[in-house]
Amino acid sequence: MAIFNLKKREIECKVVYYGPGRGGKTTNLEYIFKTFRKQITGEMVSINTEGDRTLFFDFLPMGLGKIKGCEIKVQLYTVPGQVQYSSTRKLVLRGVDGIVFVADSLEVRREKNMLSLKDLQANLKEYGLNIFKVPLVLQYNKRDLGEQGIPLMSIEQMDQDLNRQLKVPSFPGSALKGDGVGVALKECTKLTLKSLQRELKWAQ
Amino acid sequence: MGEKENIKRLLQEAELYKGQGLLNEARLKYDEVSDLVRNNPKIKNKQKLLAGLAKKINLLEVDTQKVEKGPSSPELSSRAQDLIQQLFSFSQEESEEEAALEGALALAKFGQFERALAEFDNLLSNEAHRVVAAKNILRCHIALSSEEKAADIYEKWAKGDTFSADQLEKLRVFMEQVLENKGVDRKLTVIGTKAKAVVEEKKEEEFIDISAIGIYLDSGPSKGKVVEFDVNFQSGNLLSLIISKRDGKMIEHLEVNNELEDLQFYSPIAIFNGSGLVAAKSEIQSGPKQGDYCLDIKITST
Ligand SMILES: Nc1nc2c(ncn2[C@@H]2O[C@H](COP(=O)(O)OP(=O)(O)O)[C@@H](O)[C@H]2O)c(=O)[nH]1
Ligand SMILES: [Mg+2]
Repeated sequence: MAIFNLKKREIECKVVYYGPGRGGKTTNLEYIFKTFRKQITGEMVSINTEGDRTLFFDFLPMGLGKIKGCEIKVQLYTVPGQVQYSSTRKLVLRGVDGIVFVADSLEVRREKNMLSLKDLQANLKEYGLNIFKVPLVLQYNKRDLGEQGIPLMSIEQMDQDLNRQLKVPSFPGSALKGDGVGVALKECTKLTLKSLQRELKWAQ
Repeated sequence: MGEKENIKRLLQEAELYKGQGLLNEARLKYDEVSDLVRNNPKIKNKQKLLAGLAKKINLLEVDTQKVEKGPSSPELSSRAQDLIQQLFSFSQEESEEEAALEGALALAKFGQFERALAEFDNLLSNEAHRVVAAKNILRCHIALSSEEKAADIYEKWAKGDTFSADQLEKLRVFMEQVLENKGVDRKLTVIGTKAKAVVEEKKEEEFIDISAIGIYLDSGPSKGKVVEFDVNFQSGNLLSLIISKRDGKMIEHLEVNNELEDLQFYSPIAIFNGSGLVAAKSEIQSGPKQGDYCLDIKITST
């Protein structure tokens, strides 16, 4: 749920990076933190555990400047991927305005992608949100590994697996190299702000 | 592709997965390579190769253990704690106390029990949130040390004047159930009158604490029977059960959104009937409960 501060003419919304563990969510945020310095309004906070796993969440605040006289702030979050942190995932998802689903292109992670998308759908439902209506984009991550001869799924296969019904914008990418990171975030915030405009009847 | 190239390729894959923290996937590749080596009569110095692979697999196991055992809730810096509290206080606009309660609950959920305790302590001065805060104080003590310790805290409260007799009775009922579930044999001092506490409890928190649930199964190996499961977590009308893989068959046929008609809820106060909905079902993929199932049931009517 975006916070709309009429007095300050400021909108603050929440974008969550969701997806299977080790798929590259944290790497996405790290790249954004490194690359979009001007828009970053505070420190990136990561809370990790043994083996660099996101235990709780990562958090990164950004400012996107003014749209129609309104200051737009975006808070980026990632969720922990491991199954045992399901209650944390739910908590982080509360009040979400837009989602970037980071899918892992590795063939060996095919099923994990699909399970995670189902988990997202179930968790959204808990909050009364419909995965078909929520602003959502897909990122097919780790495309760079194809060059090293590691078996990856084709884009067509990933679309078939994950996007057949959703039909949302999807972007191949490499969070490690920064490919497809900016465009995915941009598209997601665009969809998010559009949906907020409808909802809040702001800037119409 | 020659056998040698094939092995080389698989090893490269395994190393990459390991580097990405995909330990299970790496393990499977090493196993695949081991099989190839073992079954190939043409490979020289087989024993040496296999020993090398065994060593790699061993190291992988050590890593896996570390990840699974790793501190489930490390103590965070106070800055990170502030952030959690602030980020998860959703009701700031509506009510300050409500927001404080949410923040404290988030801290507890993230395992920051000491800090959560301090926040809940502050909330004891607030009449409307006193009982909820107190229950969570008890939960924190259980997580930090033991049920016994929590019971000691209750006894301390029973002697003091922070709580009314009715409030104490609610806490006693809650604590007694916890002790009973854990098989701790200990009697708690009774202060209030029983009947009154029960009626108010429902009003105040909407949902009473449910410790176990009986599900009537209309298919599977336990068809026609009522099976009982412990409730591991509860948040309002949502109950989470961890069901061991041994009992997996019993719930195999249950799917998300299935309606469950004949449910029995076991609460400290009474057993009552109702219906619910399968809200989520998943197999736990790693950790000490790997292979077990997590089943969420939403109570729809009682
Ligand atoms: N080659 C490659 N590795 C990646 C990419 N994105 C993430 N990784 C690696 O995958 C592992 C898990 O990434 P992480 O961001 O922690 O995943 P998370 O669990 O989704 O947050 C790390 O070792 C990353 O370096 C990518 O685009 N290409
Ligand atoms: Mg992460």
